Amino acid sequence: MPKQPVNVVLNGKPITLEVEPRTTLLRALREVGVTSVKRGCEEGECGTCTVLLDGKLQKSCMVLAVEAEGRKVVTSEGLLGPDGELHPVQKAFIEEGAIQCGFCTPGMVLAVVDLLSRHPDPTDEQIKEGLSGNLCRCTGYASIIRAVHKAAAMLKERS
Amino acid sequence: MKQTITNDGVGKWVTRQYDVEKAAGTLQYTDDLRFGPELLHAKAARSTVAHGEIVSIDVSEAMKVPGVVKVVLGDQFVHRFGLYLRDRTPLAIGKVRYVGEPIALVIAETEEAAEEGALKVKAKYKELTPIFDPVKAATDNSLLVHPELESYERVPFIVPQPGTNLANWFRIRRGDVEKAFDESEYIVEEAVNCPQIAHGFLEPHCCICKEDPATGFLTIWTAAQSVFATREIIAAGLGYPLNKIRVIAPPIGGGFGGKAGMTVEALCLAGAMDPDIKGRPVKLHISREEVMLTSWVRQGYVAKIKMGIDKEGKILGIKNTFYFDTGVSAEYGANPVRSAGYTSMGCYYIPNVWTDSYAVYTNKPFGGAYRGFGLPELMGVMETIIDIAAHKIGMDPVEFRLKNLLEPGLKTCTGMPMHNHALRKIIEKVVDKVGINKEEEARRPGWKRGKGLALAIKAPAKPANPTSSAIVKVLGDGTVEVLAATMDMGQGTYTSFAQMVSEELGIPVNKIRCIYPDTSSHPYDWQTVASRSCWSMGMAVKRAAVEAREKIISLFSQYWQVPPESIVIEHGIVKCRSAGKAEPLDERIQNGFKMPDGYYHGGPVIGTGSFVPPDVIYPDNETGQSPKSVVHFTVGAVGIDVEVDPSTGRLEVNRVSAGYDVGKAISPMNVRGQIEGGTVQGISAGLMEGMYYDEKGGLLTPDFTDYKIATIKDIPEEIDSFWEETPEELSPYGNRGVGEHSMISPAPAIGNALFNALGIRIHTYPFSRERVYKAVQMSKTSEEDLWEYPYVQEQNYKKAKKEWF
Repeated sequence: MPKQPVNVVLNGKPITLEVEPRTTLLRALREVGVTSVKRGCEEGECGTCTVLLDGKLQKSCMVLAVEAEGRKVVTSEGLLGPDGELHPVQKAFIEEGAIQCGFCTPGMVLAVVDLLSRHPDPTDEQIKEGLSGNLCRCTGYASIIRAVHKAAAMLKERS
Repeated sequence: MKQTITNDGVGKWVTRQYDVEKAAGTLQYTDDLRFGPELLHAKAARSTVAHGEIVSIDVSEAMKVPGVVKVVLGDQFVHRFGLYLRDRTPLAIGKVRYVGEPIALVIAETEEAAEEGALKVKAKYKELTPIFDPVKAATDNSLLVHPELESYERVPFIVPQPGTNLANWFRIRRGDVEKAFDESEYIVEEAVNCPQIAHGFLEPHCCICKEDPATGFLTIWTAAQSVFATREIIAAGLGYPLNKIRVIAPPIGGGFGGKAGMTVEALCLAGAMDPDIKGRPVKLHISREEVMLTSWVRQGYVAKIKMGIDKEGKILGIKNTFYFDTGVSAEYGANPVRSAGYTSMGCYYIPNVWTDSYAVYTNKPFGGAYRGFGLPELMGVMETIIDIAAHKIGMDPVEFRLKNLLEPGLKTCTGMPMHNHALRKIIEKVVDKVGINKEEEARRPGWKRGKGLALAIKAPAKPANPTSSAIVKVLGDGTVEVLAATMDMGQGTYTSFAQMVSEELGIPVNKIRCIYPDTSSHPYDWQTVASRSCWSMGMAVKRAAVEAREKIISLFSQYWQVPPESIVIEHGIVKCRSAGKAEPLDERIQNGFKMPDGYYHGGPVIGTGSFVPPDVIYPDNETGQSPKSVVHFTVGAVGIDVEVDPSTGRLEVNRVSAGYDVGKAISPMNVRGQIEGGTVQGISAGLMEGMYYDEKGGLLTPDFTDYKIATIKDIPEEIDSFWEETPEELSPYGNRGVGEHSMISPAPAIGNALFNALGIRIHTYPFSRERVYKAVQMSKTSEEDLWEYPYVQEQNYKKAKKEWF
């Protein structure tokens, strides 16, 4: 199938993806080496391919790459500082033991960034609502909830 | 005197290895490796019938898809694989035996072309009658899933029954159960059933295989738990020497047993070893639907227990019949059947035990290793029936358990004496924390509240001689690399190993790194399974670290001309206080020391360690008896407080408390992680998980929409995890395994809590909303037992029991 160019701003940098019309944003991103977006189900159920698309949470397996034309895509690598320093949400996940196999983590971290942008001081209920689209089979989520509270406190301190 | 000082040693709360890369998203899993344009992609076409002879397979349309280079069929790759019983071919040959079985492998230049090609493979079958019901398959030999069973190679401790559907029959014959029943005041006979369940790891199976066309050497990059077991199974199946196969395992995204042994690698090799293909790497990444359909599941089971109890409430005898639904292959699944069998006294001392534990072939996806390995199944039955028995004899279920507890020194069903443990203390704590015997009002108006308890036990299930070895390399910058072929699939073993090395070398954990397994660089380890790694590989890692320390101290002793015992390694600095010396570990560790004699001594410091369990003896095939059948048991208890909305059957967990005797928590952050994670996985299994099929054997639950696993919204309001530390005698630091144990008993604890809330005994897992609602309705009648067996129309517990007992 013929390929066509799609221009996106990936983690702050403009980039051109060469894709078939049927190619999902997930596969297109992975094709250019952005492998933090994981293929857990490719049918919109698990959340491991979560990205921020124009600032909104999006499962990248559920949009075609061509739909991202002209839009901003942020993945978990894009949260790192210029010298590789971790985002407070990433730090909080490590400190609270909220990571096990790590396969859900990049998507989960982005879901937390999105959640905290809407609820800087979330209740447990808001956390559960905000992260309900991201599956984790390892941790039992308890440590993730602890990490979200910790990240909220860290972000508050920073601002 | 201890010669190391560290803040990060055994028992310290330290953060985990590789978490920075995981949080950033830069850690590369198998699917993230890049091989360039020479990479080919494979996709399987799969059987649409559950049992049938293959009449023809037409690949002509598939070959026309642009990019498709080859379609491989079963008769072009005739090799039989299996860990304990070689009953599996990667592609169907002549016959298909379940819906989803690979019938052809399409190889193409792109993944999309392979996917398109697979859809265009057309097969014709002469359908045969399939068999799905494990009890029928076990008791009726007119339909055989594997008529060729007799010809399959196997290990001596697996006992298939040719001419039947029994892939393994494990027996315990201890004492005289019939006499015990005669002497009993009470006889309790009950049954429980549970469907197959799926692992639900988030990373689907993925591997890349490549054959060197000049030498025939195979390289396999794969999402596997156990590189050496994968290599051995492939070598045996291909008739290859071990040295011609290299297996490399990048980090894996969850395993839970589902990536133990050999999974999809042989299917990929059918492509990579094809004469038209070899030389190019071939990648096989299977979809979520294929994971659900064609990789291992936890075996379904139907189990009955007859128990004889005296008038004081002492259990005198037990007779167990377990039918494990192993699906189409028992190559790995024959062993959990054995594991459940040799633990079939549960957490209780029972002098007379008769157990028949069967692996039963059916025309369904196949069973294998799953967190708990036969014990969630065993305890799913045992802890339900113990609870029933307590109520039948009018004794409090906690008291009944404590009265019959398998206290240290008492014999298990294999005749092995139980070692020291703190189970009684754990039970008392759980009972107290959850208020098991305290009646409380439901928190939600109109709901019904109940509490339940279930105990847990598990030994590492493995052959008698599963070995481990490790290398500890001290580098020229004072950091350490550990080569231990355990896979850290999230359980945190690398952090535990780093803490052990820190303890023995006095080097902080941030200077210690464990390297992911590669059969060509790492020394041998049997498998990453059985909650054995911190124990077995822990022995090897500790020995290796001690050897490295002794070498360092000996070198500095010679260098400084001081006695070795005056030297301490403190936070990575080597010190001799009496001589006023303090120097870092630096390039001298690599390049040698120029000693006072003017010559160089030393050279790169490497420590090595090996371990084999010294004293395990296989249980006798006829009686299951052995002086030491397993290395040790980890025991624990789960208490749960639930409430139910009678109008919908919805269940909420108010609180769960889970405690285990881990011997010693090497890495507390990971112990907590294992207990919390396994508890939720166990609750998820108990409340919502089951694989169901239509009448033709088609899977009705092939995705996370229909096969539900716990989301963050499904977790208990409060998870209390704790542990006790009764040291294990033969162990690196007194530690025992805990990775699997937390999954064992949440489900039966919920069942017992539901009985407490509703007065109805649900004999069928899971306790889905619909089933709980039915139980609520049943509580308005005189019925007390809810039994639903997927393979019969009429659901009636009394009738099922009558047919059975």
